[in-house]
Amino acid sequence: MAVAVGRTYHAPASLDEAIALLAELGNDAGVVAGGTDLVVAARGGRRQLPTALVAIHRLSELATIEGSPFGGLALGALVTHADLERSDLVRRRWTALADAAALVGSPATRHVGTLGGNLCNASPAMESGAPLLVYDASVELRSASGTRGLPLADFLLGPARTALAPGELLTGVTVPPQPAGRVGSAYLRLDYRASMEIAVVGAAVLVALDADGRCTEARIALTAVAPTVVRAADAETALRGQLPTTERVAAAAARAAAAARPIDDVRATARYRTAMVPVIVRRAIEAALKRAEEEAA
Amino acid sequence: MSRVLGRRFVRADGLPKVTGQARYAADLVLPGMLHAAFLHAGVPRARIRRLDVSAARALPGVLAVLTQDDVPFVRFGAAVEDRTLFAHEVVRFEGEILAAVAALTPELADRACRLIEVELEALPPVLDPEAALAPGAPLVHEDWQDYSANDGIVRDGNDCGFVNIVKGDIEAGFAAADEIVEGRYVADMSHPVPIEPHAVLAQWEGDRVTVWSTTQTPFPARNGLTRTLELPESAVRVVVPHLGGGFGGKCEFHFEAHVAALARAARRPVRLVFDRRQEFTATDMARHGIIATFRTGVRRDGTIVAHEASLILDTGAYATHGPVITEIATMMAAGPYRHPNMLVEGRTVYSNRTPAGSTRAPSGPQVCWALEQHVDAIAERLGLDKLEFRLRNIVAEGDEGPTGQRFEKIGARESLLEAARLIGWGRPLPPGDGMGLAVGWWFSAPGPAGCYIKLNADGSATVVTGAQENGSGSVMGLALLAAEELGLAPERISLVYQDTDAGAFDSGSSGSQTTFNVGRAVLAASAQIRDRLLRMAADELEANPLDLELVEGVVRAKDAPGRSVVIAALARRAQDDGELITGQGNPPAPKMPDSLGGSCAGRVAFPAFAAPAFFAHAARVRVDRETGVVRVLEVAAGHEFGRVLNPIGVEGQVEGGIVHGLGIALSEGTVFRDGNQANPHLLDYKLQTAADVPAMKIAFVDAPAADGGPYGSKGVGEPPVVPTAAAVANAIAAATGVRVRHLPMTPVRVWAALAGEDA
Amino acid sequence: MRYPLTLTVNDVPYELVVDPGHSLLDALRTDLGLTGTKEGCDDSECGACMVLLDGRPVNSCSYLALQAAGRRISTVEGLVRDNQPSALQRAFLEEGGVQCGFCTPGMLMSATALLAANPSPSEGEIRAALAGNLCRCTGYQKIVSAVAQAAQEMARPTPG
Repeated sequence: MAVAVGRTYHAPASLDEAIALLAELGNDAGVVAGGTDLVVAARGGRRQLPTALVAIHRLSELATIEGSPFGGLALGALVTHADLERSDLVRRRWTALADAAALVGSPATRHVGTLGGNLCNASPAMESGAPLLVYDASVELRSASGTRGLPLADFLLGPARTALAPGELLTGVTVPPQPAGRVGSAYLRLDYRASMEIAVVGAAVLVALDADGRCTEARIALTAVAPTVVRAADAETALRGQLPTTERVAAAAARAAAAARPIDDVRATARYRTAMVPVIVRRAIEAALKRAEEEAA
Repeated sequence: MSRVLGRRFVRADGLPKVTGQARYAADLVLPGMLHAAFLHAGVPRARIRRLDVSAARALPGVLAVLTQDDVPFVRFGAAVEDRTLFAHEVVRFEGEILAAVAALTPELADRACRLIEVELEALPPVLDPEAALAPGAPLVHEDWQDYSANDGIVRDGNDCGFVNIVKGDIEAGFAAADEIVEGRYVADMSHPVPIEPHAVLAQWEGDRVTVWSTTQTPFPARNGLTRTLELPESAVRVVVPHLGGGFGGKCEFHFEAHVAALARAARRPVRLVFDRRQEFTATDMARHGIIATFRTGVRRDGTIVAHEASLILDTGAYATHGPVITEIATMMAAGPYRHPNMLVEGRTVYSNRTPAGSTRAPSGPQVCWALEQHVDAIAERLGLDKLEFRLRNIVAEGDEGPTGQRFEKIGARESLLEAARLIGWGRPLPPGDGMGLAVGWWFSAPGPAGCYIKLNADGSATVVTGAQENGSGSVMGLALLAAEELGLAPERISLVYQDTDAGAFDSGSSGSQTTFNVGRAVLAASAQIRDRLLRMAADELEANPLDLELVEGVVRAKDAPGRSVVIAALARRAQDDGELITGQGNPPAPKMPDSLGGSCAGRVAFPAFAAPAFFAHAARVRVDRETGVVRVLEVAAGHEFGRVLNPIGVEGQVEGGIVHGLGIALSEGTVFRDGNQANPHLLDYKLQTAADVPAMKIAFVDAPAADGGPYGSKGVGEPPVVPTAAAVANAIAAATGVRVRHLPMTPVRVWAALAGEDA
Repeated sequence: MRYPLTLTVNDVPYELVVDPGHSLLDALRTDLGLTGTKEGCDDSECGACMVLLDGRPVNSCSYLALQAAGRRISTVEGLVRDNQPSALQRAFLEEGGVQCGFCTPGMLMSATALLAANPSPSEGEIRAALAGNLCRCTGYQKIVSAVAQAAQEMARPTPG
């Protein structure tokens, strides 16, 4: 219950200050934004708080949602789930991400929980991961020695493991423009309760349709069925270049199971998770297709 | 029943609760107060090889460290005296307390716990209650024969309470049956989950200790303290500040003695506050996991002619109230049906799980869920409508209960018809939807109660009882009873309660007994004041007391309301004349109905069900066949509580019971991995949220009980939680064509049942 | 290390010195004696610790006190104005939305935030806004009606 004492606290006022602090504190440093993962884990006794807490909530420059000139998207690390849920731009163009943000925890968790925190916590059940994978997003990592970009898929290494190096801060997420054609994307989660859930199985899907209604692009990512959120390449291949008939959609969804390596845990058996992947993927494809078709207007 | 009762009112403890002024046990702070922490075993079964607290004692800021060696060796328990305050030689569940620490800060107390050196020799845990009953099975309590137990409890090895009901001739019944239907159902353990975790604060003054506790039962808690610490009752005062819910989880005696012993050793006040994990793993009032098997013989016309049931209740590491709850379970396994021939057997089985006990309507929801699915299965076999089959067998006035009691006017049939009417039974439904019904019954619990009322000189009154307000409003409602009897506005009545030094003995907020018992005491005490006021007013008005009534703060002539005298004036005058107007009531408890008595074994507390309440719920669900996810769209409830005295309060109990029941149905189950709970937190032990709640429709059936509580009322708190899970189960079966025989009916289990598997 | 902190709670500034790991809940309950805010779990699941931070709900049990520096914190103790309970508090009393009362402060704070952002919420919106506040007593029904009732009451023009 009690959170251990004897640590230091830093609340940098600027990004440069934050980066300098992280360089100075090295391995001792741990970044806290909304605290919805870090502080909860510490209170539950699962993980100690870091020795040096670097609170980045004051870095307002990281709280921005911006469209880029050619139709891409730039998200600051401090953008909250509620920001994503409410942003017109995200709701209009990046619907899978808006879907996911609206599903996170409670209203309170959505208000304080951040995109950067969600990614750095690296839970296989994270909501924002699968949508960003289908948007081919990259994370921006900044340190005293410079800035590097890394595809999200390469950033997430396993449960609670990322490619973040000591001294580095995840400052934002960049998303390239969406593919040509009518594009639709959706994120769907299997929910036991109507609210306050954590993913047992989730799926994000992006499809692009040409004038004939053929899938010129299909991207599919899964939540909570592998050590990280993962793309389901076989399923994508099964859909790409095809007319998305009911049968083809179902067949593609069935092939998504190949990407799943689920475990038995308190929330579900591995068998159940494996069986749910095609169901949830199929529904997510259908939702994405519906949105793509509505683009026609 | 007129001016006050039956209307909506605002409870007296409401304002402090909405403003944050209401203090709960964890909010209390005393000067010099230390913080307690427990070292729990963390493993389900082990022999204690070594327990060395010297390093913890040496830590600066630690003022007391206690183990079983530091307190009297006293075994205690509600039904069987099978436990000690701290683990003694062996560990029987993961939450067993090895040692307790009092230190200056919570952080220091935790550190001290980590400094305690423990060597445990792990033993294979006993987790399968059926295997535990087999001859030669490892014993959870090797010394069980040395324990004392309440008279009449039948024990044998891991079975700490065998109970049965034997009625008629079961073999002849089966011989006369056209169809015999069998079924087996398994329910996981679940938890009461009050939002307020346990907390205790103890302070000694000389030889007396005051303990502020989150108990639902201050007097049984005091009994536990006096017994385990070998103190006289006069030396112990248990006070409950506001209580943040209990649902049975705070019944009996828990950690009051540990904290009092720490405070005595440290010579300082000590406070203990549980976290949520402890609330799950270290308390001892979980809802029993059960295994229920039924075999029922019926005639083609739908008449039940033979009913056999076997129940196994997993009581966990200690008996707590287990044997008594098994008694209740056998009554629930009969259900509110006519049974000419019946054999029900119940066993209370030790395991190395967290102890089970008195969670709201103990055994009720699980056994009702099993029985009512079985009843649906019988109706299906006979090709009868499920409402019709129940109507053909449900009990009514003049019928005989399972143990031979004769029912007076009751509303079982009417409650069932109300639930069916409210849900629109039989109407066409969209594909994927299903509707289910379930009926049940529950007892009122006659017991001793006392009340003292003082009429103040300004005509207000103070009602003093030993009753405990768990949040349900039953103690708040006592003001209504006094107000009705004394002709006062409820706001003019203040209440003193949940303090063992103030009120008379009370069995607490358990068994839905507060209004039933304490309410009668309030009426008796009110009657004395009323009589005195009537006589004084009669003198003044030169009238016959029989012609007067107490209404709206005055005593007045019934036929001439203008002839009146103000009650406040009478009270003031009496005091000025040297007389205080007080009333005291401790009426005898209603008698248990006559029953078969001797022909049944293990019947200690429930030879019959006194003033039983009857009820039925109906549910409409939508099942996602691909995922097994069930959404409950609608619940309708018909309840007979004798008479409803406080509608807003009773509605609140029914709505809360339904939603609690939905949790039991769908999402609340304790998951064990090798004897340790794998979901001791609210993310994975899932309560229903505001967003999950379906539309609820409620109807009350009026059937005042001759031998009931005030105005013929019956216990209200527990019945509403009983039939919801059963109604949902039957609705799932109606929607899908398959029965889910494992509770809770999680998506994984519904999906597996649809796939023809047993999850 | 301990750090100075100015917390502004219900418009009153307080000076504190706290550890980095100190939660906002601990600061409110232990340091400031504002025990109206409750603790029911340690993983932000029950909502008993809900307070408002700059008007938005936050689980104070998992929010660091130091991060609340310079922000506006509102707790249940601040809902009474001029000795009068708010419309929402009155509605909870009148509609029977209070039983044991332990979830009530958190419920009131979530509902206060909802009504500030959305003065006439639908039943579904009320339920969604309260989904992070568990109640074991009421079945939520009377709490939801209380919030709806308060919304109507607040929409009425003030007399005089």
